[in-house]
Amino acid sequence: MQFDDKVPIYYQIKTMFYHQIIAGELAPGAKLPAVRQVAVDLTVNVNTAQRALSEMVTEGILDAKRGRGNFVTEDVAKIAALKHRLIVQDVAALYTQLHALRLDDAAVVQAVQTYIESKGETS
Amino acid sequence: MTNAIEITDLTYRKNYKTILADVNLTIATGRVVGLLGENGAGKTTLMRLLADLAKGNHGNIAVAGATRGPQRRANLSFTEHLQGFRPGMKLREVADFYAAVYPDFAAQKYLDLITFLQLDDDLALNQLSRGMREKFIIALTLARQARVYLLDEPFAGIDSMSRKRIIGSIIRWKQPEATMLISDHYVTEIAPLLDEVVVVKDQTVVAHKSSEAIRQDFGIGVEAFYEGIYEGEIHDDEL
Repeated sequence: MQFDDKVPIYYQIKTMFYHQIIAGELAPGAKLPAVRQVAVDLTVNVNTAQRALSEMVTEGILDAKRGRGNFVTEDVAKIAALKHRLIVQDVAALYTQLHALRLDDAAVVQAVQTYIESKGETS
Repeated sequence: MTNAIEITDLTYRKNYKTILADVNLTIATGRVVGLLGENGAGKTTLMRLLADLAKGNHGNIAVAGATRGPQRRANLSFTEHLQGFRPGMKLREVADFYAAVYPDFAAQKYLDLITFLQLDDDLALNQLSRGMREKFIIALTLARQARVYLLDEPFAGIDSMSRKRIIGSIIRWKQPEATMLISDHYVTEIAPLLDEVVVVKDQTVVAHKSSEAIRQDFGIGVEAFYEGIYEGEIHDDEL
């Protein structure tokens, strides 16, 4: 994985796992690799990988089982809430960017609508 | 807990020339720290002073609590350019020498490392490419069970595959309580590996910051931070 050096790495690792969980690549109850393995796989510092996993535990998306490792929560309501949170976050970012281009709310909706309708044609 | 490295008011002159002046630096145990600075900034000298290979400084140096030279040497692992070995010597023979000289040299760890780094230790030193030589230095250095590891520009002039292998071996084999100081003058490739960066400029340490704090507080990468300091765009009062 290629990281953006301007954004805290632990945050990017968290986001990567959250996307995998929401997309179902990491199913509820699935075991995550050990911290050192995450560090090796992503070529990051072990402390950074540890911080990412600890925060996911704190946020309730991972269950830390003593001596056995970290597992994706089986509480699907938590995963649904996470999905909602990420959607809001991404939409907010898009909205802010388009507003900065002086689009009003109706124009933002129109731009998104037009994009969805036209994207099938170009590809 | 004892800090891995504690340097206070260090000044070092050689042939009437000041190499390092008023260096103060504390590094906590377990960190991977990038020592950044241009060529000639004093990075290697700082490592040689820590390892007691350069002597005659003013100020105090402690490595894992030890201040006297021989104890500092025992606490840290530093392989300086494989000087003093016959060019025709086989890697195996150099490793045997290390095993004889350093009580903390772990033979099995050495074998695991050379396997991972894809080195053939039946080769002689003068048969090694630049990348193989750096990999061999890494294997020798990390095979010791030291408190502090010093790696002096391990990525200089080597191919990207070797670099990835070396970085992988550092992540895989660094014990949690071991501390590692890695010098370099370009940073991007190793930035995700570093807990902290120390910038050396004008004969002294001008900045010491956590890499994640740099990203969080400045919204820039480690490389941009380092360049900003050298170009004078980031000032003392911002650090």
